[in-house]
Amino acid sequence: MFPFPLGCALRNVLLFVVASSFTVPVLAENPAAVEAESLDFFERKIRPVLVQHCYECHSAGADLVQGGLRLDERDAMLRGGDTGAAVQPGQPGGSLLLAALRYDGVQMPPDQPLPKHVLRDFETWIRSGAAMPKSTGSPAMVQPAADNPIDWDRAREFWAFQKPALHEPSEIDAANKMAADNWSERKLDRFVVARLAEQGIAPNEPAVKQVWLRRVSFDLIGLPPTFEQVEEFIADDSPLAKQRVVDRLLASPANAERWTRLWLDVARYAEDQAHIVGNNSSLTYPNAYLYRDWVIAALAADMPYDEFVRLQLAADLIHPDDPSSHVALGFMGLGPKYYRRNDLEVMADEWEDRIDTVTRGLLGLTVACARCHDHKFDPIPTTDYYALAGVFASTEMFNRPLDDSVETKGGQAKNPDQAIHIIREGKPHDLNVMIRGDAKRLGPQVERRFLSVIAGSDPETFDDGSGRRELAQALTDRSNPLAARVIVNRIWDQLMGAPLVGTPSNFGALGSLPTHPLLLDDLAVRFMAADWSIKWLQREIVLSATYGQSSHVDPVKSELDPDNQWRWRMPRRRLSVEAYRDSILAVSGQLDAALQGRSIEPDDVAANRRTVYSKVSRLDLNPMLARFDFPDPNAHSPGRHETTTPLQKLFLLNSPFLVHYSSKLAGQVVRQDATDADQIMQLYRRTYGREPNDDELQLAITFVSDCGDEGWKQLAQALLVSNEMFLVD
Amino acid sequence: MNTPLSRRSLLRRSGAGFGAVGLLSALASNRAFAADSATGESVSGGLHHPPRAKRVIFLFMNGAPSHVDTFDPKPMLAKHEGDTPTGDEIANKNRSSGYMPSPFPFRAHGESGVVMSDLFPNLSRHADDLCVVRSMHTDVPNHEPGLLLMQSGNQQPTRPCMGSWLSYGLGSENANLPSFVALSPGLPVVGPQLWSNAFLPGQHQGVEINTNHFDVDKLIRNIRHPHLSRADQRDQLNLIQRFNEIHRGQRPGEAVLETHIRSMELAFEMQREASEAFDLNRETTLTREAYGDSEFGRSCLLGRRLLERGVRVVQVFYVNKKNKQPWDTHKNNNSGHETLCADADRVTAALLDDLKSRGMLEDTLVIWGGEFGRTPYAQIDKSTDLKHAGRDHHHTGFSMWLAGGGVRGGLTHGATDDFGMHAIEKRVHVHDLHATVLHLMGIDHTRLTYRYSGRDFRLTDVHGRVVDDWFA
Repeated sequence: MFPFPLGCALRNVLLFVVASSFTVPVLAENPAAVEAESLDFFERKIRPVLVQHCYECHSAGADLVQGGLRLDERDAMLRGGDTGAAVQPGQPGGSLLLAALRYDGVQMPPDQPLPKHVLRDFETWIRSGAAMPKSTGSPAMVQPAADNPIDWDRAREFWAFQKPALHEPSEIDAANKMAADNWSERKLDRFVVARLAEQGIAPNEPAVKQVWLRRVSFDLIGLPPTFEQVEEFIADDSPLAKQRVVDRLLASPANAERWTRLWLDVARYAEDQAHIVGNNSSLTYPNAYLYRDWVIAALAADMPYDEFVRLQLAADLIHPDDPSSHVALGFMGLGPKYYRRNDLEVMADEWEDRIDTVTRGLLGLTVACARCHDHKFDPIPTTDYYALAGVFASTEMFNRPLDDSVETKGGQAKNPDQAIHIIREGKPHDLNVMIRGDAKRLGPQVERRFLSVIAGSDPETFDDGSGRRELAQALTDRSNPLAARVIVNRIWDQLMGAPLVGTPSNFGALGSLPTHPLLLDDLAVRFMAADWSIKWLQREIVLSATYGQSSHVDPVKSELDPDNQWRWRMPRRRLSVEAYRDSILAVSGQLDAALQGRSIEPDDVAANRRTVYSKVSRLDLNPMLARFDFPDPNAHSPGRHETTTPLQKLFLLNSPFLVHYSSKLAGQVVRQDATDADQIMQLYRRTYGREPNDDELQLAITFVSDCGDEGWKQLAQALLVSNEMFLVD
Repeated sequence: MNTPLSRRSLLRRSGAGFGAVGLLSALASNRAFAADSATGESVSGGLHHPPRAKRVIFLFMNGAPSHVDTFDPKPMLAKHEGDTPTGDEIANKNRSSGYMPSPFPFRAHGESGVVMSDLFPNLSRHADDLCVVRSMHTDVPNHEPGLLLMQSGNQQPTRPCMGSWLSYGLGSENANLPSFVALSPGLPVVGPQLWSNAFLPGQHQGVEINTNHFDVDKLIRNIRHPHLSRADQRDQLNLIQRFNEIHRGQRPGEAVLETHIRSMELAFEMQREASEAFDLNRETTLTREAYGDSEFGRSCLLGRRLLERGVRVVQVFYVNKKNKQPWDTHKNNNSGHETLCADADRVTAALLDDLKSRGMLEDTLVIWGGEFGRTPYAQIDKSTDLKHAGRDHHHTGFSMWLAGGGVRGGLTHGATDDFGMHAIEKRVHVHDLHATVLHLMGIDHTRLTYRYSGRDFRLTDVHGRVVDDWFA
């Protein structure tokens, strides 16, 4: 490691005695000689130590320069790192470097302290002026953030920070065949056609009516259509047939149940904590379901999305006299609480959760990245992070008593069983920046306010209590370029099988660019104009020709656009675990359609309510949910992974759940007075909303012949676990 | 699959977004499907460099064993018995009961002279295989964050654990079994977050096995149909697959349909393979007796069977029915350690014997330790007296050991101070342990990353140094 030949060692020891007995400067009077002597001392005594013990983390060659401090350049040393100058020439006592080497506060090197004689060398060297040779042209210095300010004008030119506007796609010639397939009617479709035309790809034919109905039923209410609904729709030749179906589905309470889960993924909804100490349940949320019920009711009433968001952040401040609305605050109030609360570092972790959920969830910005350093890619300085963190630091988690009879302490219910889990105002205060996220190393204080890139160069501070109401307003203000785009993209993703922006919770520089920017912006503006109506948006999308296409895989188009990013087909989609389980309950005639209420275990055969009512645990997620790609409720989920594993198939083949409902399904069709073929027909109508073809019928008849009841149950299970049951065309 | 993508390049590409990860898993399972699964061939030898270890078993002593009673002798504790520790590094701890010497004699063992207390009469036979680390340190003296840090490199519960990272980086050697299994008789403190995949794709989650059970059916959920015979289920599966083929024939070009069909077939095969793998009755009486009939013994024997069949990571938690962290000896430290070590010593030695005799120890990494150590001074509450004294949580210096898997046996690494209070020589942080384990498995810890929430995450965050002193 030492860059010196071993032969020097003895001479160094001798010189060391000299150097430490008389400090270096007094040895010579000639300034040049003094400097030469000092440099020599540095090269012999100091640099080798720096090279061996410090440069791995504190030099231009380090993978990641720790603490922003480099010790391989004199200027860098004088400028220092996050905590200030490392060396004050002539003043060993004021030099942080020496303090760290002495393990006074900071401890460096971290593995063990250097020998005492080496510390004396450093003291000598600093006292004599900390001489160090000039740089020999090494790479540019690591600049502290303050020296490298964000160019805000340039930053705001990025597409996501530009306000969305209406656009006018070109018309489609009436003579074009596509006009006949209704591609010219809707603006949405004309945007899609324009992109397809650029690629020289024609969209697919419209899907057949049975396929379209099954698709739209799953998408809008999370359940398959009955065979009677299929027949009725096929018989309806009216040009309004599709609209009538969509109106019926949107009016169904099942629509809100199906769409609530999207929001609960965004909101990392859960009913407990990732760690429970002993049997201590004081941090759990036994009445979390009240928040879920509120979301269901809000979506059923088509509450405007901006109001929906504002109430979840600040219902107590917006409607102080309407305590029933405050259950919306579960959005924050059901967030993770970590072990050792009240410790500042732990609270700082909780604030990060709140910021992460709000900014990725509502804005598609990864603001939590700016907790320890300015965002590396997006215009989000650390000061913005702490400006928002101050809002959550000024807010308390609150177990509001369910009623007056509840025993309380400090205004909170003593027992969480008797509480609504929301938030309330705490003591309003601003936070200091925590340098590198370290709660013990404080930088300047930052006033509470919104993100600079959106709020402008002189943002208004939040002065009203914690600032939650102002934050809620800023998040949903029509001038905010992101709020509408982000939710429109999520809803598009749910309905179209792939989002327009491929990273639904990251619209920043590292996220994807929209495939159809004009379409996204136009939809976002019209969505706001439609009073942020989610049902309006659902309707707009599912009635489009783009949505109505077949999912047929055309080999030529596949070659041109294998990922279908230009939307020449509808993708085939897999049902979510919710829709799959609900379908099994529905087709076996067992679904309890009761709305709202307490949670169930979804794999409990006696629990036949919809899957949205599942208990969601951060500690121990129900194995059925966990196995089928339900997201980890410890953090905001930008979208679900889709995995296909043998463990999932074991559930389909062997679980008591499937065995139970297969038996129920068989029980619905087995009739002594009916032929095998008739009963098989009934099974197909129930499960797939169609009749079997000849091959299927023959296979099924052969299978059940001479098998008795058991054969029918096995056939029913075969239909419930075959691909057609959970893959939607 | 005719895509000539290496696993490595896929991992690099996965930084680009969602798609590649799915492709990765499809590729892995397809490959395993296409290959003769009986050979148990690895998807790749290592990710960044040739591995020294192919698999790992982490024997986790929940509650934290006392280093000064096991692997770190401190004669000064006897000389200064009852003296109050000085120094202000440990806040909020009552140290008034003073230093408490270990009642257990320590001896050097084997040719290497690795030292351990007499609590390990069997493990001492393997002294020359052990790399004892006396200079471990971690960030906090509390179980929950300590456990999470040891398992996932982070004190809060939203990060993938080490087993998930290894599964993600290296894939499975046997497509009919999970790549990462967590064995615990009931939930340990913290619970499933200790084997969580967090934001990594679902197949990298540890499959939790409750070793309170003996029956294969209870060990793995849904491993068998409640009443259908294998032959009858084969008939039913044939029907399902005929339906699936008809369905697929009407939907040409849709690759995912084939994936589901194959996955169904794999599940059927897995029933047989897993039933066999998880059935301890297939071991000889001699072997079963060597491990003994404790929860830990069963877990370790099961662990060995799984490692043998290609499971990449086995995480064993030392938990029992009555106690989620038996090593947490706040009271009766001495008698507690006698009882616990009597079991742990016998089982661990049996595992090392077994791995050795099967030629597996050289490429199987064995890790032993808890979330931190215990105080060199006594903890005496009002309700107890000196005879029943305990030791409190202690995080600034403690011991762990490693064996096999390319680790240098007979090595004693680092040291605490004279009283066992602080690691002072060749200190090893939990992040360094993680970095080194990944390295032994053929992974550069700085390059195994996953893009999530706008940034690249890794097991060691921005920390971790590979301790190359440990390499054989």
